[in-house]
Amino acid sequence: MRLDDPCIKKLEPPKLNVFERTYLPQIIDGLAVTGRHILGVLRGESITIEYPEQPHRPSPNYRGVHRLNKDEEGRVKCVACMLCATACPVHCIDIIGATAPEGWSDREKYPASFVIDELRCIFCGMCEEACPVDAVELTSFYDLTGLSREEMIFDKTKLLSVYDLTKDSEPSRMGNLTTF
Amino acid sequence: MTTIYIDGDEFTLENGEHINAIQAAARFGIEIPYYCWHPALSVVANCRMCEVEVGSRDPKTGEIRMLPKLVPACQTPAKDQTVLITKSPKVLEHRRMIMELLLLNHPLDCPVCDQAGECGLQDFSYDHGRAEHRFVETRNVNPRKDVSDRIQLNADRCIMCTRCVRFTREITRTGELQVMRRGEHAEIGVFPEYELDNPLAGNVVDICPVGALLDKDFLHKQRVWFLSKHDSICTGCSTGCNITVEENKGAAWRHKPRYNPHVNDYWICDEGRYGYKVANDPELLDATYVLEDGDHRATPIDQAIAAVSRNLALIAREGGKIAAIVSPFLTVEEAYLLCKYIKAISPSSVLAIGPIPRSGEDATWLPDKSQGRTGDVSFVVCRPFTIRAEKCPNRRGVEEVVRHFQGEVIDYASIGARIGGGEFQAAYVTSNAPEPAFDESAATTIRRGVSFLVVQDTRITPLANQADVVLAGGTYAEKAGCYVNHDGRLQFAEAALPPREGVLPDLDVFSILLERGAAPIRSFDVLAELAAEIEVFAVAAGGRIAEFGGTIGGVESNRSAPKNGSVYEQVYQDPWAGVRR
Repeated sequence: MRLDDPCIKKLEPPKLNVFERTYLPQIIDGLAVTGRHILGVLRGESITIEYPEQPHRPSPNYRGVHRLNKDEEGRVKCVACMLCATACPVHCIDIIGATAPEGWSDREKYPASFVIDELRCIFCGMCEEACPVDAVELTSFYDLTGLSREEMIFDKTKLLSVYDLTKDSEPSRMGNLTTF
Repeated sequence: MTTIYIDGDEFTLENGEHINAIQAAARFGIEIPYYCWHPALSVVANCRMCEVEVGSRDPKTGEIRMLPKLVPACQTPAKDQTVLITKSPKVLEHRRMIMELLLLNHPLDCPVCDQAGECGLQDFSYDHGRAEHRFVETRNVNPRKDVSDRIQLNADRCIMCTRCVRFTREITRTGELQVMRRGEHAEIGVFPEYELDNPLAGNVVDICPVGALLDKDFLHKQRVWFLSKHDSICTGCSTGCNITVEENKGAAWRHKPRYNPHVNDYWICDEGRYGYKVANDPELLDATYVLEDGDHRATPIDQAIAAVSRNLALIAREGGKIAAIVSPFLTVEEAYLLCKYIKAISPSSVLAIGPIPRSGEDATWLPDKSQGRTGDVSFVVCRPFTIRAEKCPNRRGVEEVVRHFQGEVIDYASIGARIGGGEFQAAYVTSNAPEPAFDESAATTIRRGVSFLVVQDTRITPLANQADVVLAGGTYAEKAGCYVNHDGRLQFAEAALPPREGVLPDLDVFSILLERGAAPIRSFDVLAELAAEIEVFAVAAGGRIAEFGGTIGGVESNRSAPKNGSVYEQVYQDPWAGVRR
């Protein structure tokens, strides 16, 4: 999209009236929130949880460990266009593209290797946004640990297994768009 | 003097050249988009992308008369008093319409298309097209097919500009490609059993403005925006074609031609195109070796160079003679430093040029204005393209350097016999050739003739197996320097890749041997030095070389060279090729 695109709607910040410009209403609003929390704790409504006994469920748009989605036939959905690797600000994605095997009539390219360095990743979600076939997605896995650096470099098999683990609990966020 | 008016501004063309409106507008920084026009091919004006408003001005009254319809700029000569309007609403609407037409059947598969990033459709669709697609019918889908072992045709991406067809008819005059069927069903194709296999076939991939013709060697390996381009010179033969070496992640991925009207025009041969594999060969020498107790041991480079320096100095002090074989694969700068070093140790040393690899005969393609042409040829300048039998880049340059230091050039045949005859006590042999320059018997002759043998090469050869010290040299992609081609044209090649692990570029090795100090050596400094010292290389004075190179000895070659300042003396590149800024 170009900067001079007529479809772009430019918004101005709202004008404050004299009373609002004293910033008293905003301060009162903030104190009210604090007050509600204090009263809630007194009533026994805790805002913390007993992790790890009690599992934490992040919000649906939480950006955790990546997964590589599969299509209906169980093949990797990725077409190795490398747009995620291009968009990645920390260069943690490394893909080796190859001509798709005979019989994959609907696409001509697939990733022979797909590696994400989870240690280098900053979980910004740019890869997910760049992907034209919704193959790479971020899941709600947040407790990412490992005993060595090598273990944290996720290859294609590992990323596909994350999909198998999460496909039921987290359906694809983008819906199922057509592939090439 | 020719005066033309573009978008209301007045411009003058000095030389009275016969060029078209696209070239004239480009000269003044005004872009007229096009697909099917190519400066070396006849004008067919079938993509309709370059259509602009054209008129003429009456010089007496100043009255301007415009043609009622839009006219293709590629077919419009930029003659005196021509008026071009390239940005009117009528022209812009026309471009939008043409983009929509060209993209009717085009699949939206840019993410998997190798052309993405250097694609004419992407660029002009962004600049001139529209975002919506109004076509509701089923798109034509043509399956992929092979036009040769090396080139794949994705017919659904084709926009029928016929550049490739005209290339095979007009430049190679082999005519393998043609348009089959008509109208919406038109398709590029080859006859069964007559595949596109001429030695220049790979150029159709370069001139294809879209992703229809793709190189199977490069297919799906890299995205073009990851590649860094380095201006280089092909070392495959003594033509010295201008190329870009495109590199990513420490490996070369492809060669693309660079325009040079004095050398290779717009083309390169397939041999040079796939010659990049030499730079990625896993068999390349990975360390320097010194012979100790009958065994070659990997030795740090500084110790190996010290051993060379010590032994050669010792032999010279004892009155021994040293022979140096200067490879025609070395750059001019490297040859200069090597000769200087050898002559500095002992003035009685003998310099000789290494074996000149030859294979087959020179093959020349000479396009003709009347042969195989399908359209207007009045803007075409025909220049020959030759693949030389002499398969080394720098015979002329090395000869000139050796002649400067020694007064005569000794060829390998005579020095080989003299080494075999036991005239010399030490030999310094350089090679860097992609194929071993010395076979088993030649290697044994050299080895038997001398007591100390230094070999500088990029790979393990029969001669290296018998050497006292093996210095690992750089491939063409790892070193910067100048080559002098068959015509005597001195051209500069940039280094594309960093030196391999454990290897110093040849220029640094010679620089250390000459004890020129520890600072990294720049090829430009050496070039400036040798240009000042050797009169023949005066064209490179100050270490500066012109865009298209310069002729050594001040003698202009007999090739039909364009006049200075003419449009053909300016760098040409299709607007979609290269990085978009």
